Amino acid sequence: MTDSATNGMRPDMPSLLLSNRARLRLRIAETFGNGFLLTVTSLSTLAVLFIFYFIARDALPFFRLEGFREFFTSVRWYPSAGDAEFGALAILFGSALVTLGAILVAVPLGIAAAICLSDVLPFAVRQIVKPIIEILAAIPSVAYGFFALVVLAPLLQQNGGPILGVAVWIIGLPVAALAIAVLADMMTDRLPDRTRSRVRWLIVCLSGAGAIAALTFAGKTLAGLHISSGTNALNVSIILGIMALPTVVSVSEDALQAVGRELREGSYALGATRAETLLRVVLPAAGSGILAAVILGVMRAIGETMVVWMASGNATQIPHPWYKLLEPVRTLTATIAGDMGEADQTTGSTRYHVLFAMALCLLVFSFLCNLSSEWIIRRARKKAGA
Amino acid sequence: MRLQTRKLVDRAFSGSGVFAIALMAAALLILLTPIFIRGCGAIFFTATVEHRRIMLEKFERGNRETVEAEIAAAQAAREPVYRMIAEFERRLADESGAGRVKHRKALKELKKALQVLLGPAPGDIRPMMMRDQYGQARWERAKVKLERVLYREEWDYSDPTKSGILILKPRAEDFAGTAAEGVFPYLKQNADKMLMPRRTVYWQFLTDESFDSHMFGGIWPEILGTLYLTLGAMLLAIPMGVIAAIYLTEYARETPFVTFLQTCISTLAGVPSIVFGMFGLAFFINTLKISDSKSVLAGSMTLALMILPTVIRASEEAIRSVPKTYKEAALSLGAGRWHAVRSIILPAALPGILTGIVISMGRAAGETAPIIFTAAVSVGKPLAIWQTLTQPTPALSWNIYNLATEHEAVDEVRHVQYGLVLVLVSMVLLLNLVAIIARARISKRLRV
Repeated sequence: MTDSATNGMRPDMPSLLLSNRARLRLRIAETFGNGFLLTVTSLSTLAVLFIFYFIARDALPFFRLEGFREFFTSVRWYPSAGDAEFGALAILFGSALVTLGAILVAVPLGIAAAICLSDVLPFAVRQIVKPIIEILAAIPSVAYGFFALVVLAPLLQQNGGPILGVAVWIIGLPVAALAIAVLADMMTDRLPDRTRSRVRWLIVCLSGAGAIAALTFAGKTLAGLHISSGTNALNVSIILGIMALPTVVSVSEDALQAVGRELREGSYALGATRAETLLRVVLPAAGSGILAAVILGVMRAIGETMVVWMASGNATQIPHPWYKLLEPVRTLTATIAGDMGEADQTTGSTRYHVLFAMALCLLVFSFLCNLSSEWIIRRARKKAGA
Repeated sequence: MRLQTRKLVDRAFSGSGVFAIALMAAALLILLTPIFIRGCGAIFFTATVEHRRIMLEKFERGNRETVEAEIAAAQAAREPVYRMIAEFERRLADESGAGRVKHRKALKELKKALQVLLGPAPGDIRPMMMRDQYGQARWERAKVKLERVLYREEWDYSDPTKSGILILKPRAEDFAGTAAEGVFPYLKQNADKMLMPRRTVYWQFLTDESFDSHMFGGIWPEILGTLYLTLGAMLLAIPMGVIAAIYLTEYARETPFVTFLQTCISTLAGVPSIVFGMFGLAFFINTLKISDSKSVLAGSMTLALMILPTVIRASEEAIRSVPKTYKEAALSLGAGRWHAVRSIILPAALPGILTGIVISMGRAAGETAPIIFTAAVSVGKPLAIWQTLTQPTPALSWNIYNLATEHEAVDEVRHVQYGLVLVLVSMVLLLNLVAIIARARISKRLRV
């Protein structure tokens, strides 16, 4: 529609001057065109307001009927009983637990990988690694869920203990060795030269023996664990962590890259090693961006449905003790997906509305996360610009 | 700190990064390997004569004479088993007391196990369910079922502190000294003569309809459903997304309203996928009533909404990456803003936009949560194009969930599950591969 307007300005027209009528037509067409573009844009963006409205509209009847207290404080979830109870605390806790587990997996790995990508690896290797991350992000969640259910769950159930025991050694040994070396150095820094090396060896031997004893104990304990079901919070946490990894990696890599060369070069010029530069200069400068990455990772993990539905065990309970990841849990998303079929969809029973209340919780939470991550990124950008 | 320690820390730092990346690559490999290997098992496998019988009777595939000759040969090989059992049954009538009750029970179990392995015995009434009409079509399942014939499962609960222990008892013990004793060694020796396993390529797995809730047949309705849903979503999301991107990059000024729109887009991108599904149910189906209940149309619209932010962001980025000079040259030649957008900027940004579209297409194809309440059913016929407006459809992603968790015989359809996952993952990976290659070529072109 705006096309006819621009025709008037084509150079093949005999005259560049337009008659009044043509100019008017041009104006109108341009206004209409702009209006059309704006309408389409608004429609597609304001859909999010629609989502808020319709979720809230179906969620409010629940809160009006049942109030907030039971939903947020009770662990008794019996939606289908005659005397139905809608205590969602255990479900909220389940969501929080698997998200926490996923973050424990995704954040250390993600930040380490992002540092490696932005500062360590040469360009050619980076070009190979990037597609790996993209493919990890692209694999459908139901495929992850299927893997968790069919491959990982039986594996955990049969050999979970020994695997965890070995994992503790693989992760713990290098970390402990490094910590001991640094600690021994730092503690002996002030000593006179003569005794220093001897004291250092003493510290290394003592703490080394302690670390090995601790690792042996931890490994033995874990290896002896009896895992009653492979579909549990640990399984889901691992898979969700892997799913959140690409987000964490790419956003924190952007944040690390945004820290300029000058800062790094200044640090190198002062004689710092790469690790020191990264730890003392780059990471603090990129801190807010990395925080945003973590928030986005949390959002990815908490909003994920298929994996938790298939592999979390769907047991409405708070594990005992609360951090025991080997217990099955139930999350908000899985409850919605699982119960919606049974809830009476059209007549709008309480059971139907409570699921919308859960969706509203998810929606509000992800909205707040989004706002805060955006605010953090914007502030960081402003600071970098200033 | 000593220099040595500082160097050590430095190495460890780089090492942990490399470790993290290696772990990611390993995770990808561990995830994809079983999917690819066992997914191919849905198409390439060792089929028994029962598979060829199904192909002949349900699809008219294969040479009728050779297959019928094969079936006859297999029947002949099975005949001694049935003869021995008939003999046993005849003698059972003369038996009395506790031995008879025990033997009768054992016989019932044996017959049931045999039917699962070989299909109904000759002379039996034709069963209703298709899965009972045929024996095991896949040789690896047949071997499992053969074990079930040879051994009886018993659970030992004598130790109350532990979960039950599985004990396999040879069924031959139940029939020791009777006429049916010979059944078991005969089965062990002649299993392959009775079932005639042969390597088969069943590529029609991709184009066949399924029978008896996926116990037999292929996954065509699922593939078609996913295609419909994805294409429908793209049809809606592409025009809206690209127009919104054009507006936001070329027309909009930095007003508070536009900032608000940008916030809306990023919020939309962060909405959990299950919430999209609920919105689709509450809005498209319960409020707008675009269809009576679930339909491909409602599912497509929900998916379109979900991928809209991705399409907008990718298109925006592609348009922004077109050098400013292009636009300035066009404007200086007297082109209007729309004319410049249409004839200069969009063509230059097209590869980038397409890349974004291809990636979001992969996302739409793989998502499950938004279509649970809006479009997906577990079993269905392939739809014709006009039926998509009113009918729900099976879809790859939903059926993976459904077959892996809600199916009544999860172990029997394991190969179908893997086949579905393989098809879905290959679709998504293929789309992403296209995008990755396209992006590499674009960045090369822009660098020159």
